[in-house]
Amino acid sequence: MDVSDILAAHAAKQKAVTVEKEIPLEVDTGFLTVTDLNPVDTESYEANLEEYLMSTARDGVQTLIASLFSLPTTSSPDGPLAQLPAPTTQLPRAKPLPKPKPMTKWEKFAKAKGIQKKRRDKKIWDEEKQEWVDRWGWKGANKAKEKQWLSEVPANADLDYDAAKVARDARKARVAKNEKQRQQNLARAAQEMGPSAAPPPVDVRKKQIDRTLAVTRTSTASMGKFDRKLEGEKKLKGMKRKFEPTEMSAESEKSHNLAILSKLDKEPVAKKSKKSAPSSGGSDVLNVRKAIRATSKGKGSAALASGGKGVKGKKGKR
Amino acid sequence: MRPLTEEESKAVFAKLANYIGKNIVHLIDRQDEPHCFRLQKDRVFYVSESSMKLAISVARPNLISLGTCFGKFTKSGKFKLHITALDYLAQYAKYKVWIKPNGEMPFLYGNHVLKAHLGRITEDTPEHQGVVVFSMNDIPLGFGVTARSTVDTRKLDPTAIIVFHQADVGEYLRDEETLF
Repeated sequence: MDVSDILAAHAAKQKAVTVEKEIPLEVDTGFLTVTDLNPVDTESYEANLEEYLMSTARDGVQTLIASLFSLPTTSSPDGPLAQLPAPTTQLPRAKPLPKPKPMTKWEKFAKAKGIQKKRRDKKIWDEEKQEWVDRWGWKGANKAKEKQWLSEVPANADLDYDAAKVARDARKARVAKNEKQRQQNLARAAQEMGPSAAPPPVDVRKKQIDRTLAVTRTSTASMGKFDRKLEGEKKLKGMKRKFEPTEMSAESEKSHNLAILSKLDKEPVAKKSKKSAPSSGGSDVLNVRKAIRATSKGKGSAALASGGKGVKGKKGKR
Repeated sequence: MRPLTEEESKAVFAKLANYIGKNIVHLIDRQDEPHCFRLQKDRVFYVSESSMKLAISVARPNLISLGTCFGKFTKSGKFKLHITALDYLAQYAKYKVWIKPNGEMPFLYGNHVLKAHLGRITEDTPEHQGVVVFSMNDIPLGFGVTARSTVDTRKLDPTAIIVFHQADVGEYLRDEETLF
């Protein structure tokens, strides 16, 4: 029996498992991506677009799946899982590179002199304790002089010379000096970066200047009254007060006052709310506290809430 | 003389509300004759509309007083009630304190009200509440602010202060020059 015909027909139905192209496809299994770098075949592209796209996509997927099957697998309840390697494709940065930080004064100096930076260990060896201790910080070695049980006293020292205090002050002074230098570096950096910061809009800036000028003009001993006037200087204008006419219709004045009153009631004044809190809900109609006292016969709201049972029970026990 | 601005009205009403609560409405919305608040120099006057209209024709430096002086604005913008407002405060007071005859004179000399001098007090007076002080035969003597609530006063010793003095009718004699 000759099965070669059947086999040939079957092979024709099944497309090739291996894909062969002029330029081999680039596969990045980490991203599950296949890139086809071959130029588009114009003839078949124009003849039947759908079929051409389908065939290119199929080739790509075939290559990807073939590469997936060559990966090491782990078994799981849902079947074998392929372990993806790290992606090889280099993606572009999302954000621009950070600007270089402005150099500190020391860094500038070191660069000019060609001084190399030496990394100091954070820990140093303590001979007495026979262990590594922090150079600074909690139980740091820089506090050793303050902690030692015996300390040297200079020959010309005062009676109240405190070696530990002197050492501590010196250490604190070093910290303070460092902090000061850090602040100065920050200020210098801000000055260098300064012009890049957007200035306020013109109208805002004009108002600020006017305000500053008005303040400085009244900031003299005579509140600006006896100062020498500059040429073309205008008189300072204050706020013009405006009052209601003395004679208003009684009706309008009344409604105006009542409106203010109602506004006052709504405003939760801190003291007022505290006062009204105990008699919450108890307007002038009902004094809640008094009512509670009357109904509970002076035993309070707790006794009332327990429903008189508790009171009776207590009596029964006694 | 001018009407009060909104801030000034708020200050006055808030201070009055401390003593007479919602009864301020009766001052503003009067049945007999419309009354209004007017500011002259720094003093606040409660005056009937007809007298106010008469007073319009008096020049500002010449106008000394009109209606009832309720109090004055301090330089820092706070409102201070004067003893002259006592008539209206006593009439509408929410919380009252009656003092015994032996406590009247100390109070009228400007001292605080002690517990020993306390005759009666309105029930359920809260702490720091404006109260009007009466003699036992219901003559208003002044006003003040409670130091303790009514409930707390029971535990206090007799020399403890119950009402902080704010104004008393003795001021009519003591501050005669500056009061009006």
